[in-house]
This record gives sequence, C-alpha cells and structure tokens, in this order.
Amino acid sequence: MPATDLLRLSYYGFTAASVAVLAAVVFYVMDALWLARTSRLVTAGDALASWRAYATPPTPSGRLASTTVALATLFAGLAVALRALATGRGPYSDMYEFSVAFVFVALLGYFLLERNYGIRPIGVIALPVILGMVAYVWSLPPSVREDRGLIPALSNNVIMTAHVSSAVIAYAAFALSFAAAVLYLVVARWPRAWLPSAELLDEVAFRAVTIGFPAQLLLLILGSVWAHMAWGGYWSWDPKETAALFTWMVYGGYLHARTLRGWRGTRSAAYLVVAFLAVVFTYFGNYWFGGLHAYSGV
Amino acid sequence: MVDAVAGGTKHRRKPLLAVVADRTWRFFCSVRAALYEIIFLAVLILVGTLRGSVLPAQMPRFVPALEPLVARWYAFDVFHSLIFSMTLALLTVAITVCTINRVPGIWQALVHPTVATTRQFFRSAEPAIVERSPDAPEAVARELVAILRSRRYRVLTEQRGGDIHVYADKNRWGKLGTFPFHLALILLLVGGIVGAQFGFREPVFTVAEGATRDVGEGTHLRLKLERFVDSYNQIGSPTEYRSDVILYEGDQEVRRGSLTVNNPLTYKGVTFYQASYGQAAQIEVQDAAGNVAFAAAVPFEYVSRSNGDAPAAIVDLPAQGVRLELFFPNLKLDAKPEIGTIKLQSGELYAQAREAGTNTKLGEGVVIAQGDVARVGGLDVQFVRERRFTLLQVAYNPGIPILFSAAILLVIGLAITFYFPHRRIRALVSAGGGETEVMLAPLAKRDWGAKRDFVRTLSAIEARFGPATLLGRSSHAGD
Repeated sequence: MPATDLLRLSYYGFTAASVAVLAAVVFYVMDALWLARTSRLVTAGDALASWRAYATPPTPSGRLASTTVALATLFAGLAVALRALATGRGPYSDMYEFSVAFVFVALLGYFLLERNYGIRPIGVIALPVILGMVAYVWSLPPSVREDRGLIPALSNNVIMTAHVSSAVIAYAAFALSFAAAVLYLVVARWPRAWLPSAELLDEVAFRAVTIGFPAQLLLLILGSVWAHMAWGGYWSWDPKETAALFTWMVYGGYLHARTLRGWRGTRSAAYLVVAFLAVVFTYFGNYWFGGLHAYSGV
Repeated sequence: MVDAVAGGTKHRRKPLLAVVADRTWRFFCSVRAALYEIIFLAVLILVGTLRGSVLPAQMPRFVPALEPLVARWYAFDVFHSLIFSMTLALLTVAITVCTINRVPGIWQALVHPTVATTRQFFRSAEPAIVERSPDAPEAVARELVAILRSRRYRVLTEQRGGDIHVYADKNRWGKLGTFPFHLALILLLVGGIVGAQFGFREPVFTVAEGATRDVGEGTHLRLKLERFVDSYNQIGSPTEYRSDVILYEGDQEVRRGSLTVNNPLTYKGVTFYQASYGQAAQIEVQDAAGNVAFAAAVPFEYVSRSNGDAPAAIVDLPAQGVRLELFFPNLKLDAKPEIGTIKLQSGELYAQAREAGTNTKLGEGVVIAQGDVARVGGLDVQFVRERRFTLLQVAYNPGIPILFSAAILLVIGLAITFYFPHRRIRALVSAGGGETEVMLAPLAKRDWGAKRDFVRTLSAIEARFGPATLLGRSSHAGD
C-alpha cells in the first residue's frame, strides 16, 4: 500500500479515536450519574469484603463507557501504527505525531488502570484530559498530517523512538496520576459509597508516578545518549532539557515526601495536581522555548 | 548539648567540635532539609529554564515595573552560577550523608527484623484478622509458615511463653534499591566534573574541502576534509550532511571515513561530530616576486558587517604584512542588494586588503570571478574555485563511561525500588479457650497496595483455616 494511503488510514483511525474519546467522556459522566443514583443499592458488606470487592459495581453505562475506551485505544493504536508504517519511524517528527502517540498511550494506560483496579469513576477526570489533548491535535494545521520528513539531526531511528516513547509514557502516566489525585481531593471532601476509597486513589496516583518517574528518567538518559551521539555534548542546558529535568525533580520531591516523610492523602494529592502543571509546561515548551528542541515544534 | 546529669554531679560538655560535627551530620541526614534542597534546586532549574523562553519577556507587558527584574533575569546564567554549583554540592553531600545514615537501619530491618509483636499492634493495624483452629499452636504455626513460604515469603518465628510470633516478608532486598540510585546521582556529578576537568570540547571546528586542520589539545591529531556533500528532498528540506574525512595522528593516517549527523567518528576517545557547513574558496596568493604566499581552501565562516547574510573569510599573511578579507554574495532568496554598490554575483568573490595590525585599507577592493586573478594590496589573488567547508564539533570526554554507568544504576535502582516493594506480615499464634487463635495483619500503614497483597495472601490462609474474622475498625472508604 502506498505511504499516502497509509497516512490517510492513520488519519481516519485518529478521527475514529477522537469520536470514541468524546463518546467515552459522555458515557463516563452518565455512568457516574447512574452510580450516584443507585449507590444506595450497593452494599459494602463488612470491611474485609470491601477489601475483596473494591471494584466499582458493574452497570450498563459503565460497560458502554469501558467498551468505548477500548475502541478508542484500538483506533488510536492503529493511527500510530499505520503512520509508523508509512513513515518508517517512530512518532517523533513533530507535535502532531507526538500528541497522537500521547493520546494512544494515555488511553492504553487508562484502559489498563481500569482493568487492574476495576474502578471507573477516574474516567470522569482522565477522559476529559485525553479529550483536551485530542482537541489540541485537531487545532494543529492540517498540513501536519502529511509526512514532512526529518531534518538530519532527528535521523537516529532507534534512540529517537525510544526517547520519545519514554516521553509519551511518562506524560501519560503523570496525566493519570493527576486524574487520580483530582478524584482523591473530591472523595476526601465528598465521600460516597460508589466512589473508590481515598486510600485506593492515593495508591493509583502513586503507582502511576512509579511508572512515570522512571520513564521520565529514561527520557532524560536517552536524550543525553542521543545528544552525545549527534551533537557531542550529552547535556546542553537546553530549555526543554532543563524543563524535563525540572519535572523529574518535582516528582522526585513527591516520592521522597511520600515514602520518607509519610505524606499521604490531601497533601500529596494536591502536590500531584500542581506537579502536573510542570508536565504541561514541558509538553508545550516547544512553543515558548528556543534552543535545540525548537525544530520539533509544530 | 548537655549530658543528662543528676543533681550535684559535674556538668560535662561535649567538645564544641563534636557538637558542630553532630549538628552538621544531623542537618545533612534530615529528610526535611533534603526536600528543601531539592525544591530549591528545582526552583533554580525553573528560573534557568524560563530564561531560555519568551515567557519572562511578556511580564513587563502586564507589570511594567518588572522590566529591570526581567532584564536581570535574562542576564543571569543560572546553570553556570556559583549558587547553582553550591546547591548541587550541598545536595550531593546531603545524599551521601543521608544514604550512609540509612544503611544500618535498613540493614538491621532486612537481616535481623524484630519478630516479636504485641496484641496492641493487631488492634491498631488494618486489616487485622483472626483465624481459629482446634489444632495445637505449634501445628497451626507450622502450617501458617508453610502457606506463607509457598507464597514466597521469608518467615521467621519466635516462641515467647505460650505464644508463637511470626514475621514474614518478601522482596526485602528491594529496600536496597535506594543505594544504587543515590550512588548514581553522585556518580553523575563525578562524571560531569571529570569531563569538565580532563576533557575538551571545540564547538566550532571548521575545515574547508581539501584543507587539513590540527585538533590541538595535545592530541597530535589532524583532520583533512576531502569532500562535503549535502542532499535535499523534493521540498527542499535537507536530508543529509556528509563529510568525507581522513584523520592523521602525526603523519600517520589512522582513520578514513564519512561523518554524518548522528554518525560521528571516534578515535582514541576524541570524537568528531557533523554540525553544520558553509561555503569556502580555493585561493592562491602570489607576492610581487611571484612566490606563492598562500594556497589553500578558505572557509567562509564569518559574515559581512554590512550584510549579515553574506559569508566572509579572513586570510592572514603575516610575512607580507597583509590581511585579506574575502566576501561571497548573499544568495538567499530574500536577499538585500549585494554588499553596498558592488553588485556581487554568484561565482564571484570580493576581496580587499588591509595592513596587518593597523587595519588600514590597502587600496580599493576588487571583484574576482572564479578562475581569475586580481591584484589586491600589492598581491596577486587567484580565486581558483568555489568549495565547501564543514563545521564539526570535536569533543573528548573521559567522564562519559562514568555517566553512562550512573544512568544504568539509576534505572536499576528505581526498578528495584518500585517494582519489588517490601511486603511484611505479622502473626501471633496463641492458645486460649481450648482452641488456637491466630491474629494476622500486614505492616501496611496507609499503603493500599500492601493491604491488597495481604488480602490476596489471606485467601490461601482461609482455604486452610476457614473464613477469617476482621479485628479492629473498618478499613474502607475515606479512612
């Protein structure tokens, strides 16, 4: 199949994923309303039983929401895979490719989170964050959907793919920790039987950081290795580099505060919500930084 | 610090030095202080990062009074400042001291954990459960130990009176992951210092086609550029820059190959990276007597003062007391008119001579077409042909192996810490009322993951002893 056809199919895949994400947002909100209305029917049983059955009870709207997320993940995955097939490289030539990959990994991360913990209400926060990124992708000029090739500095396929994949994984994990932290703050103020326990949300946020923090470290290391190979300097104090380092340190601060100072609950959740600003700042840094990452802007 | 004394006994003060050492040690051990240091370093990094952006420049638009502050902000090279280096040094010492300070405690907890526990522990732990069995305590304890071991727990027991205390843990070595991680952070700094002290980096190393240039820095290396090739795709974006080079050590050829971006050439730790390129000219200069004063390719690595897009070159001829200044036309599509009134065209260069040292012009400059000779400042200058030059970066960094080892240690340390969490369970087996009672609880204060693991392990215990009963307070929602 010619590359242009693959690019078009990839674009259709992303369009389908976008529609599915939008639908999922609606379904998760509907599911939350459904759970809120029927929660008096949900019996927690004794506390040990609640330890065994911490999952959100199944509802028709919940099944619809979860299936839609699975479909969105599939379509976004196809969009990334078809584009990689057409261009012969990872998703790193510009903000379009990078953001489509982010949408895919964030959806996949959320899908796995829901399957592992069996809790759905986080979707009410996480899916709108992903929808925001989908909207950002659609705000980019249509020309970005073509394959515009690579400048020579970006032509190291393996390391670039690993470098950018680490970035996508890290940012997606931090986005999920943000969603869990926001819901934590809601639950701490407004506990309801149908919402996950605050302790569980604290755990989910922490687990997401334990994925994001090493991924962010890999991003920094692989970026250094690549810079060493391409430019002769492993570290250039480039604004995007230092912004990524800043983000890493912010989450390092969270881990130290949580594990050594016993920070739990509202304080650490509020910290994670603020920390996510650092991620947003780094993600969109190409727009306001000059320096070595400037070419990877739109 | 004053030692505790009974009334009337002599006060015995610690020596001042010991007090200072003690306080300093405690300061560096403090996690709170370390957190503040991390936050301060992060703030410095943020200040330095924003300096590389357009954001501070926007601030005076809203608050004009901030203008001087923003100007100082842009002038402050954070990452090369004393305060940044000092914070890094402080944090490194804190990491070292903090880590050393934690070794005995962690080691003790791993190798010789406290096995015995109290009933009070089970009353406050959650979720704490009770199982009952008609069998003797020893038999129940034996079975419990077997179940825990089958689930990969290390199990230690201790008999006290009629009670049997059980301590079980797994992934205990995961606690050690913090050491390679923090050691690696220190190694990063060591690698950086080694590189800065014993390495070198030449960011602008230009060589024209056909020319050979010394690397210097005591390396005895010389690099010759045979050819520079640049290729473009259909829409005019560059796809490859390539330099075909020969490397000499003394007079011996040691390497021959092609350099592209991402494919540097390394010899004895010295690495040549493709960075950029530009125009060059093959020039031959003869003096009035017809002797060749200069014959080489000259890289046009400067730009004209009067036209920032016109490449320029300088040829110093000290024996003749002349400095030649050479200009190529500005060939950009949106170019301004050529230098002044010269109307320089493609395939021509403009040459003018100045007196070495005084910079006084020696006559008027001339336009020379490719292949032609013209008299400039009393010398015959021939523009033999147009060529290219390559711009390389040359670096030697003996800190790299240390840095990459540190990177590997960082990843290993984090993986061990996060993905092999230390899980602990305590149990108390005791006889009472004609049956044996087993109290079980995890050491998992406010740790949902550890509690879930405990509940999963409990399933195996319930399979043998029957459904467990919950002790103490509820452990669900919002607690």
